[in-house]
Order: sequence, then structure tokens, then C-alpha cells
Amino acid sequence: MKRPKAIILRGTGTNCDIETMTSFRYVGADAGLVHINELLAGKKKVMDYDIMAFPGGFSYGDDISAGRIFAVKMAKLAGDFARFIKGGRPVIGICNGFQILARTGFLPENGRGAQLSTLYANDGGRFLARWVRLRVNKRSPCIFTRGLPDEIELPIAHGEGKFIMKDRKALEGLLKADLHALTYVENPNGSMRDIAGITNPAGTCFGLMPHPERCFFPFQRPDRPASREAAAAGREFFRNAVEYVR
Amino acid sequence: MEELFSRFTSLNEKELVRLDKAFGWSLSAAELVQARDYFRKAGREPFRGELESLAQTWSEHCKHKTFSGPVRFRSGRKVKKYRNLFKETIVRATRELDRSWCLSVFKDNAGIVEFGSDGKWGLAFKAETHNHPCAVEPYGGAETGVGGVIRDILGVGLGAKPVLNTDNFCFGRLDSKKKLPKNALGAERIFRGVVDGVRDYGNRMGIPTAAGGIYFDDGYLLNPLVYVGCAGLIPAEKIEKKVRPGDLIVSIGGRTGRDGIHGATFSSANIDEETSSSAVQIGHAINEKKVLDVIMRARDRGLYGALTDCGAGGFSSAIGELGSETGARVRLENARLKDTGIEPWEIWVSESQERMILAVSPGKMPALEDILNSENCEYCVLGEFTGDKRLLVTFNSETVVDLPMDFLHGGVPSVEKAAVHRPPRISRRPPASRAPHGRALRELLSHPNICSRHSVITQYDHEVQGGTVIKPLQGRYGDGPGDAAVIWPHAATGSVRDHAGFAVAHGFNPAAGRLDPYLMALYSVDEAVRNLVCVGAEISRTALLDNFCAASPAAPEVMGSLVLAAEGCYDAAMGYGAPFISGKDSFYNQSRDAYGKDHPIPLSLLISAVAPVADVRRAITMDLKRAGNPLYLAGVSRKGMGGSVYNEVHDTRNNYLCPLDIKAAVGTYGALLRAIKAGCVLAAHDVSQGGLAVTLAEMSFSGGFGAVVDLSSAPSEKGVSALELLFGESPSRIVVEVSREKETEFRRLTGGLPVARIGSVQERPELEAGLGGRGLLKEDILVLKSDWKRELL
Repeated sequence: MKRPKAIILRGTGTNCDIETMTSFRYVGADAGLVHINELLAGKKKVMDYDIMAFPGGFSYGDDISAGRIFAVKMAKLAGDFARFIKGGRPVIGICNGFQILARTGFLPENGRGAQLSTLYANDGGRFLARWVRLRVNKRSPCIFTRGLPDEIELPIAHGEGKFIMKDRKALEGLLKADLHALTYVENPNGSMRDIAGITNPAGTCFGLMPHPERCFFPFQRPDRPASREAAAAGREFFRNAVEYVR
Repeated sequence: MEELFSRFTSLNEKELVRLDKAFGWSLSAAELVQARDYFRKAGREPFRGELESLAQTWSEHCKHKTFSGPVRFRSGRKVKKYRNLFKETIVRATRELDRSWCLSVFKDNAGIVEFGSDGKWGLAFKAETHNHPCAVEPYGGAETGVGGVIRDILGVGLGAKPVLNTDNFCFGRLDSKKKLPKNALGAERIFRGVVDGVRDYGNRMGIPTAAGGIYFDDGYLLNPLVYVGCAGLIPAEKIEKKVRPGDLIVSIGGRTGRDGIHGATFSSANIDEETSSSAVQIGHAINEKKVLDVIMRARDRGLYGALTDCGAGGFSSAIGELGSETGARVRLENARLKDTGIEPWEIWVSESQERMILAVSPGKMPALEDILNSENCEYCVLGEFTGDKRLLVTFNSETVVDLPMDFLHGGVPSVEKAAVHRPPRISRRPPASRAPHGRALRELLSHPNICSRHSVITQYDHEVQGGTVIKPLQGRYGDGPGDAAVIWPHAATGSVRDHAGFAVAHGFNPAAGRLDPYLMALYSVDEAVRNLVCVGAEISRTALLDNFCAASPAAPEVMGSLVLAAEGCYDAAMGYGAPFISGKDSFYNQSRDAYGKDHPIPLSLLISAVAPVADVRRAITMDLKRAGNPLYLAGVSRKGMGGSVYNEVHDTRNNYLCPLDIKAAVGTYGALLRAIKAGCVLAAHDVSQGGLAVTLAEMSFSGGFGAVVDLSSAPSEKGVSALELLFGESPSRIVVEVSREKETEFRRLTGGLPVARIGSVQERPELEAGLGGRGLLKEDILVLKSDWKRELL
């Protein structure tokens, strides 16, 4: 069976890189950490990989605003990333990674690299780390959420997670195409239409604020369910990506 | 003053003290005389940098001369003398226990114990305080406190990977009516600033802040305490440092600036109206994250022989320490600076953050530079370690320091401190009940020292690294107050197939300390250990940290309580078989108000405890799990309301603090642990602040079940009252929910011990407590929860 190669892209201040790599490895990917400097210097090439992940953290301190500086660094490689996504290779952006995908205009996808959405400061005005219930949109083309139950629980940990889109029509279009793969049951940050994660129409590029890599095993859940061996919801996101490539 | 300094060797004691005050060294008269005599003998006047170096190196902050100095203790007619209080109490217990799993104790930046079953890993643990900075600049003080203790872990051995941050705070009451002196910050301002600082730094570093506590008492109104701790994983073969002559002195990370000049000496001064916030450093977490990333990669490739952090005293302490056996040659013109208007001696002692010093063999420098550049981490080569045992520091052609290492490190004179103990008046009269029990319970649940901490905890990313398996907020609704955090450090070990983890818990009880400092130490160690039991940690492998905070050691009463607490630490460590592996102390936590009155803090001892958890999947939480399960109370309920939160709310006129039977506690805990491992126990929660009623309430509403108990069957001392049973805080007690199917096995495992069934879990959402058929209280758990779940921030 093919062992897909996963690139876990990091920069200064990325901090969920190891657990994201571990998650991909557990489900059979050959995953490795790559610093964006290595791509910029031409030492590594995006197109040598099958799956790409933008892990959580505070890239470059989230100075100016979340994900901004990382996005600027990526601009020089925009063509490579666009090719990767267009080729249908799975891309997942988690938390800060989602913020980066939004800044770079890869999500919502528009082909122009235009930023259509922002992950803005939470309504509560502060960083919030807690578990939330999420609704899985069964009609969504998202390949990462395939086969998940209607409702799951994952932890969030962000200060800027309020999903907003200025263009109401674009937002309606996104909803109509079922690109909102994940929504909050109880909105923790004021996101428009309770959106927690969105995908591109192909379903292969996916950004979400919750952390699936932190709910990989059932004993990572706060309620400590009796079944200790079963998989936890977060694992499915990674398994789906690997199976899709296979 | 410059004139006075220019004839330093001819000054008399009075002039020396005047000079010290003007230059902010915080050296004692005896130390100043020692320094003067050295330079007299050397036949020259000192350079400014030399006195600055001595002031840093000899400071309380770096040398801990009070705790490790001689003390004469008097209590009534009894007199006891110590040559080194710290070594004769806390270190002595560690030496006598002589545990093979202690890999490094009291000598490095942190203590290290064995981790995991294969002998491949060590677990480093350290706690620090950053009290003085937080009093004058809470946000910056807290940020740099967190940054500093993380660097302690990065700089232990050849570098450990941080996997957990802890935080324990003491503030004045937010509703305090006391009038503040000019320039003092209010309790709420300090609280907010400190939480913001810990959050912004810890979250950016990608380290979960998942264990700790917050304590409110007006004794901390002018002097908040901010304890910050960090635990990290280190490969067992990377514990020894080695500096070789010829190694380059490489500084990596942040640049050097004028922030944090005199931080080390400032912490030995009482805070008054003239205290300036410029002694506080400015933090920048992302610079430290770069340092972390560089060190982890460089360590694994063996690119340096030793490292340490630049903390108090900056380059002066870090290079002085690393080069103490070899000698060092430093050229300060090579330092990267934040600004140009800085004096050479200021570069030498500046405490600018996010800097580490590495000892690098010249041949390995190119490989290290590759890593530094790839992580965009700045660095500079400051000089080299020599073999001449001298410290020579220059700035271009100007000499800044030229001293032998042994004078710098060994020259500090010791002065005997006087210590006395005068016990307070203790009343053992039957405690008076002041309110209906149900109302009292609700008042206690909303008390600032008991109510929910969720509004603080949820601001910390307490689950980054994906290893916080027992969380600070737990249970069905994700908001139950946990006893200890259990960390599964797979992000450091790289293995999710291995389920070894560790638990961290704390004990802290200044209210008991006001009555009896010796018992406070016992209570605090007991609290930390029983919290570890509650999650199922291997308490026979508990390691402890001591962090003392006290007022001025010039006051014999302060020293007296310190002596008693240190003796308590010795007895507790021996009794629980739990060695201390590292510790720290902070004195001069007192402030003078506008009227010239001194406000000392109560003696405050934070005990941090760590113990292994063999299989993190089997660790347990505190929330009730299923209706019909029996509830058991382990440990004897004793008489006395001393130190209780109830006494603070309604004075019962009884302030008796019961003794602690360590042997009995250890026996009970051991049996409970066996029962937990056997899968008999579904939930466990310790009895602490607020007493048994609060424990039961928290277990109930965290699990969404009611409970019905009759306390007449509780193991208890003869003559104990209903009030003491419900709200007394006698130590060594734990409430457990036992699986109905395994009750027989549980009884067998705990047979012959003070462990008794007091009731059961019920579906009906009510907490009902009675005493031999007489109803004591009956409350709706949702009402109790709403009282408890306050927004502190």
C-alpha cells in the first residue's frame, strides 16, 4: 500500500507541528516537518508531497494579525501552492493554519488569491481554550469529514477564530455549495453562521479552527469514556486524507 | 557618587552603604567590606563592572544566602543552631532518602527524575517566582517570569523540551476595602495583568499551562506572588554538561538592552514608592520559541557541550556560572545590542530576555550556525572559555571585570540570622455554627478561594502538544475542577504507542501557616501527594519542589516561621518518602505604605509535586460517573476549624489545627492507589478548601449527578461536630466513587483502614447530607453550580 508523503509546514512560532505530524504518521503517512525557509531556499519542493498541513500556533507571533506574516512569506510560492491544490492533493489548515489559508485567499477558493474571509478576534474578546460540540455537514464535499457522525466534539484554542465574510452573497454561495463542512452547535466566538471549518468545492482543501490532532484517542477527551481503545473523532480527519490519496 | 566610587578601597562602612544604596547593589555591609578588602589586597580600585558582578553573583536571588546561611533559632527556652538551614532540612531529606530515580538534584537549573520504563528519559521540573516584577509591572513581570522558567528547563543538562507550564498566583482580595498607598496597583489590575502575561507568553511558546492555583488574601495586596513552573523531557544521556577550555561562548536569541538592569538585586529590596518598573525586562515569546527550536535540533546533533540561560544577572551570571571551573574571556563589543547608548557594565549585567549561552567547540560552530540561520535565530560569539580560572571581561580596550572565579563564587561572607517563634493563641472551644449548613455551603462555593477558575484556565492553551489527558477542567461538561494534571508527553518522546505519563499537583496553605508553620509544611506536602493519588499517580515515586516566599529575613519572626516550615519539609519528605529535587526562595516580599507602615506577606510555601503515571489511559477524574455507585470517604475527619475557609466567612471561634499522621495517610493512599489501578474507583476528589461538603458538591455538579450521604459512618475522631464534618479541613482525606460491581474488591483492598462507605450517587440532582438520620443539608446541584461557576475575570 502506498505511504503518502505529508509535508507539515512550519515557520517561526508554529507550535502544533509535532502532534500534527504524529497524527498523520499514525494513520500511515510518511510525514515530516519542513520549515518555510527550506521551501523559500529551494531545498524542498511542495510538489514532492501528496498531502500538506498547516498546523496551529502563533506563526511569527501573530504580529500584525493572525497568520499575516506567514501568508506574506507564502506569497513568493503562491504558484506552487495553487498547483498543489488544483491538482487535488489534500491540504488541511488547523487553527493558525486556517487563518493562513484565509489570508492567502486559498479559502474560500476564488482562483484569484483574493482574501474573502477573515478570522477575527473572538466576540468574547479573549483567547478561549475549551471543548466544543460541532455539527458535521453531511452534504459537504469535504473529504476530511467523510464518515463522521452528525455531531462530534473537539477542542478549540484561539483568540482570533470568528469567521467573517464581508461579501454576503459570497457567504450565501459558500453555504449553498455546502462548503461549510463544520459548524459550532454553540457558537463560541461569534462566527458568521456558526462556521468552524470550510472547504473548497473539490473538498480537498480544508481549514478549521478546532484541533482534531488533540482528539486522536478517546482518553484525550475530558469525559474519559469507558472505551479506551476506540478511535476518537479527530483521527478520522487524518485517516480520510491518507485514504483519499491512496 | 562617582567620586566616592573612585576611592572605593579607602571608604568606611558607612560610606560603602551609602554608595550601595545609590548604585542599587543591595549588598550588605559585611559583603561591601569583604569586597573592599579584596581590592585593597589586590592593590587597586575596582571597575564598576566588578562591583556589579559581585552584586549579581552574591545577590539573594542567585546565592540564596538567607536559606543556605547560618541561623540561630529560638522558641521559648529551646535554641537550635543551623550552619546551613537549607542543607540541614530540605537537602538532607533528599540525601537520606537517596532514591536511585533522582538523576540530578539541586545542582542544575532544575531537578531531574527518571521518566518512563526504559531508562531513556529524564523529567526535569522547576518552579520560580517573579513577585517583585509583577507588583510594579504585572504583564511584563508575568511574561518574563514564564519566559525565565522555560529557559531554566531549556538550559537544564543539555536542554529539555518543555511539556507543561504551571502557575500559582496570590493576590489581594478583589473586593478588598483596604486603602492602597500611592503608586500601588490594585488587586484586580495585578490579577488581569498577570493572567494576560502568562497567557500571551505560554500560549505563544506552545507549552500547555495546565496546573496551578489562585489564592486571594489581603496579605498579598501590595505584594502579589507569581509562581511559575515548567516541566520538560530530556534524554537520559544528555544530563551532564561539560565546558572545555577553548570552547566558544555563544549567545543565542534576543539582543541585549537596558531593560532589566538590576533585576537580581531589585528582588532583594522592599518595594516602596520609589520602586521603578525599569528593573522589569520586556518579553518577546517568539524569540524564545526560536531558541527552543534551535536548541532541540542542536542538542540532538551534539553541537555544544554545555548551556545555560541568561536569567538574573544576565551574561554575568550565565558566563560566570558556566566558566566557574575553567575561567572565561569575554569581549562585550561582540554582543548584539538593542540600542547603542548602553554602558559596557550594563551589557554585562542586563537581564534582557530570551538569551541563552552555549559552550561550543570551534569545529562545531559551522553546523550550529546553519541551524541558527535556518530558524532565523540571532547569535553572537562573545569570547571563549579559558583554563586560567579568571574572569576577564573587556569592551574593546576597556577592562570591565578582571577577577578570579573563586572570589566571585566563594567570596560571599555569611552572616548568622536570628530566628524566633512565638506561637499564636489557639482556641479549641467547640466551633460555633453561624449559618444554616445549606447556606454556608453556597457561600463557600462562591468564595474566591473555592469558586471556579474557568475564566482564567480557558485563556491558557492547556491542551497544546495534545498530551493533557487529565485536564484542569474535566467531566461531562468539561468544567469540573481537577486535582492534578496528567501529561502524556508524546510530543517530546515521539511515541504514541508508549502510554507512560506524569502527574503534577500542588499544595499551598498560608492560612495554616499563620497558625503553625511546621504543620503548614506537612499539610502542603500532604495536599500535593493526595492530589496525585486522586488521578492515580505512583506516589511512591513522588518528587517535590519547594518554593518559599517570605517577608524580610531581617525580622526574627519571619526567620522563625521559615525554620519551622523547613523542618516540616524535612519531616514530610521523609514521611512520604518524597525527596525534594529543586527549590527556590524569594524574600523581601513586603511593602511600606505611605504612612511608613510595613506590610509583610504571610509565610507562603508552594509545594509542587510530580509523580509518574504508568498508563495515562487509566488515570481518573473527579466527576461522578453513574447513579447507584457507592461513595466512600478515605481518611479520618478530625476536630478543629483552624485555617478553614469557613472560619474566614463565619468565625467559629475555634482555630485549632489538628496534627497530621503521615504514616496513616501513606497507608490509606497506598490502598486507594491499588484500588484505582484495579479499576474499582471511577472518580476521586480530595477534601481541601471548604471541607467535605464542597468536595461532594464539586463531584456532583461536575458529573451531573446528585449524591446522598450520611456522615455518621465517616471515619472520624471522637466528638467531632457536624460543622467539622461538613466544613472542617483536616488533611489526608479523599472522597471516591466506587464501581458498584467492584465494591467487594474495593473493600478487600482497603480493609482495616479508615475508609468507609458514606453514601451513594443518585440520579436526582440533589446533594443530601445527614448525620445519623438528622438532615444537615439538601441542595439542588444546579443551584450549587451556579454559585460556584463565577466569572473571576
